[in-house]
Amino acid sequence: MTTQLPPGIQLEKVDERIMTLNVGPQHPGSGHMRLIIRVDGDRIVSCDPDPGYVHRGEEKMAEYRNYITNIPHLERPVIHDSCNILYPYCLGVEELLGLQVPERAKYVRVIASELNRFTYTLYWLAIYGIFLGHSTMFMWPAGDREFAIDLLEKLTGARVTHAYFVPGGVRNDLPANFEDVCLRQVNYLEKRLKTYGDIFYDNPILISRTEKTGVLSRQDAIRLGTTGTVLRASGVDYDLRVKEPYDVYDELDVHTNVLKNGDSYDRSKTPWLDMLESCNIIRQALEKMPKSGSVRVKLKPNPKGGNDEVYKRVESGRGALGAYIVSRSKPEPYRVKLSVGSFRNLICMPHLLKGEKLGNMPAVYWSLNYWPVEADR
Amino acid sequence: MSDSENSEQEIQAQPVEEKQPDLPKFEKDQSDKITTKFGSKTEIAFVKPNRIKINVKKEDILDVATFIRDELNYDHAESVTGVDFPADKEIEVVYHLGSYTDPQLDKQVLSLATRATREDDPNPGKDSTRLPSLRDIFYSVEFHERECFEMLGVFFDGHPDNRRLLLPEDWADLPPLRKDFAIKGR
Amino acid sequence: MSVIAPKFRLGYFLKSLTDNIFWIIILLTLVGIPAIQIVLFYVDLPVLDGVLLTPFLAFTMLFHPELAVPLVKSLLYTDFFRIAAFPGFGFAALLAAGTIFIERKLLAKLQLRVGPFYCGKVEGILQLMGDGLKLISKEIIIPAKADKPIFWAAPILFVATAAAFVSLIPVAPGWVVADIDVGLLAVFAIIGFFPIITILSAWSANSKFPFIGGIRALHQMVSFEIPLILSLLGVVILTGTLNLSEIVESQTHYWFIAFLPIGAIVFFISMLAELERIPFDLPEAESEIVAGWLTEFSGMMYGLVQLGSYLKLYAFAALFVVLFLGGWQGPMVWPPFPEEIITEGIEAGPITIQVPGLPVTTQEMLNGTMWFTLKTIAVIFFILIPRGVFPRIRIDMLLSIGWNKLIALAFVNIFIALGLLYAGVLGPGGIL
Repeated sequence: MTTQLPPGIQLEKVDERIMTLNVGPQHPGSGHMRLIIRVDGDRIVSCDPDPGYVHRGEEKMAEYRNYITNIPHLERPVIHDSCNILYPYCLGVEELLGLQVPERAKYVRVIASELNRFTYTLYWLAIYGIFLGHSTMFMWPAGDREFAIDLLEKLTGARVTHAYFVPGGVRNDLPANFEDVCLRQVNYLEKRLKTYGDIFYDNPILISRTEKTGVLSRQDAIRLGTTGTVLRASGVDYDLRVKEPYDVYDELDVHTNVLKNGDSYDRSKTPWLDMLESCNIIRQALEKMPKSGSVRVKLKPNPKGGNDEVYKRVESGRGALGAYIVSRSKPEPYRVKLSVGSFRNLICMPHLLKGEKLGNMPAVYWSLNYWPVEADR
Repeated sequence: MSDSENSEQEIQAQPVEEKQPDLPKFEKDQSDKITTKFGSKTEIAFVKPNRIKINVKKEDILDVATFIRDELNYDHAESVTGVDFPADKEIEVVYHLGSYTDPQLDKQVLSLATRATREDDPNPGKDSTRLPSLRDIFYSVEFHERECFEMLGVFFDGHPDNRRLLLPEDWADLPPLRKDFAIKGR
Repeated sequence: MSVIAPKFRLGYFLKSLTDNIFWIIILLTLVGIPAIQIVLFYVDLPVLDGVLLTPFLAFTMLFHPELAVPLVKSLLYTDFFRIAAFPGFGFAALLAAGTIFIERKLLAKLQLRVGPFYCGKVEGILQLMGDGLKLISKEIIIPAKADKPIFWAAPILFVATAAAFVSLIPVAPGWVVADIDVGLLAVFAIIGFFPIITILSAWSANSKFPFIGGIRALHQMVSFEIPLILSLLGVVILTGTLNLSEIVESQTHYWFIAFLPIGAIVFFISMLAELERIPFDLPEAESEIVAGWLTEFSGMMYGLVQLGSYLKLYAFAALFVVLFLGGWQGPMVWPPFPEEIITEGIEAGPITIQVPGLPVTTQEMLNGTMWFTLKTIAVIFFILIPRGVFPRIRIDMLLSIGWNKLIALAFVNIFIALGLLYAGVLGPGGIL
């Protein structure tokens, strides 16, 4: 090009056959992120994800708040899975400050974390139904999710953004009679979840739309560094609750669900199997929980960490969620980095969508369990 | 915890024979393999249960990373973090490495850290803060390094696509995670 | 809305009165008198008991209740009644409206919701009326660069075609709006109109989303027309006639679905595709192309398109019943008209009223209508239920089903029908 372009403008040579589609944030078939897709007829030639629409600078803002006021701040990336996002942060801060969490608090944390797995996964399943055009697959999970949210509201006082986990335990104890109500609702949820197997996962049209599309082989899953249900659907048996148990997971019996094929169907089925597993975990935790005890360690105001760094990981609904905290003897952390499962799985999108049919795009890309807000932080 | 500094000094002094009572054995074996191969090029920051941190200079990081991937069986990078130290005039980039294939390394996370000198007035695309990219060794760092590039202004040599990922295209200010970038109102 | 009533002024009141009288007189002369003249000159006046029924005679019958019933009966057998009310538009529109309401309620119960609830005292029964009133009161917005004549004409053409389809369906013995000898062929011709109307309305809207929706609708309807027609050839082979009433007549001992189940299934699936129902609702896929080819229609045009869609649904379901399920055939369960009322009259206390001309409708007609309606409602249920159960199908799967699998099955069906015919089992001269 001989002419000088004004600053900030880029020219791109486009082929004649290839059309660039913008599956953007204002599209009924995308999340809050943009995919720049190049199609040749019906085949996708390349895909360039463009996240960042919900980037709020969580990590930068965390450096301006002290360890306790960071709690309601750092749970914003995933508001309905907020317990799991705060979990590695709280574990890290407890290690930095040398706190010893009481036993009852550990069990309550496990219960809250598993309930949050329900709220996140059912929401994800509902949106998957919308992308596939199945209205019942939207209504049933959205309706059943109310049971889990109702329990969390009794426990923490808020439907989403619970701000429940604090370094040193949890914010408040269980309300009266919570164990019975929780057990009853979890049993009912399990019954409802089992019916999903018939109507959703044995549905011939859903199977034909998701099977053998977006196949991620085991080698690729390991090489791309995927995590969570995407990894387990490709045949890798890795679940942090079993491999690196935190809190009381080493006393509970957790079974990992691993599926072999690595296509969209398996990736959509693994979270459902994980939810059925969560019901068992909650029941065991309710049984084994000590009946009384404190749930919180009293902290001095403005606790300071030493010159140290810590990296803790937790298994959330989307995958391994890690918090890397660097502290330098001040009440505020020097650097907080959240290593989120959605951002790690983002690299699967250009890899899987290349060569795929355009009609398969929503089915494949939402099956990667990608939550745009979390990836942007 | 302050005894990490002490143990750092002691590992440098007595490489193999003496074990401090709080140094876990498996992790120590891992760190010993690295120090025996690379000697003074690497520096063990700390050895804690399930966590090892190694500081490497940026010229040697490709060799050390290849060694870690081939000999020690770490197969993917979990995250790439950039930390800004304006007092030392350096930016530290930490790679957290994990393994899915080796069952002994299930709980281990190896932190590989390098430092790059920091300039006070970054010019994105023509930064003088440069680090070699580990993308050819660990493919999973591709998007993480892009984020590190835009947030801290560290240019990764060898990365095919040093482009903005999360920030808007018309961001004209300092890279946000640097300490001189102050949030308005605080 | 609170109206602040102005103070009463006699002059304004008298002015408004004379205004009203003026307008009434104008309407009567300019509209009423020509209407009466048209009725007098062009409408065939029926003959009752050898007496020509003039309007004067008709008015006197209002005061003689014994003559009222034959008057009503004669009206029932006119063409106009057939087109407007009974097997024609009125009946179909009533069933269509009922279908819309039942669909929303059924889907809601399937999805653990309640559905329409507030409009009308009993479970939201008046919801449709509310929706209709809302649609009438909305502004009709035409896109600026749209092709206006075609854009305005498209919904009307759609309803007209759907109504033409409805007019071919026989509801009860002798009760059909248009009794054509090649009725089934006329049905195929009319079904062939629908893709044309869809693509015309999509093209004339001059916008991206209707365009994509229209192309998808064209692909879908065209590729499913062939299995639709082929699956019905089996029925034609067995009966040897294309007249829909005669096809129903020949199902007195058995229903065709018992011998041609494959044809029935192929017809059912093709019907779902022609109606753009889930799982085949690609042209209207909400999460991808907003509303498909209906995007630019607003207000009553949208209402007309919906009416046409549901009339089409009724017509297809009724066609299925006529061809495969035996139409109006069924055991005679309707009680016969009591003989005493015809011979002696209705007894009401000390008075016995003689009402000549009863019964208004025959027992066969009522029985046939009842069976027909029940079977149509059952088929409509089967059409409505997949909406809650299946996701949307992909376009290449849709085309492969329409062009490969269904045509193959339809041919299998034809061979079965030919086999049954030549083996002497069915058809003219057969055992059954």
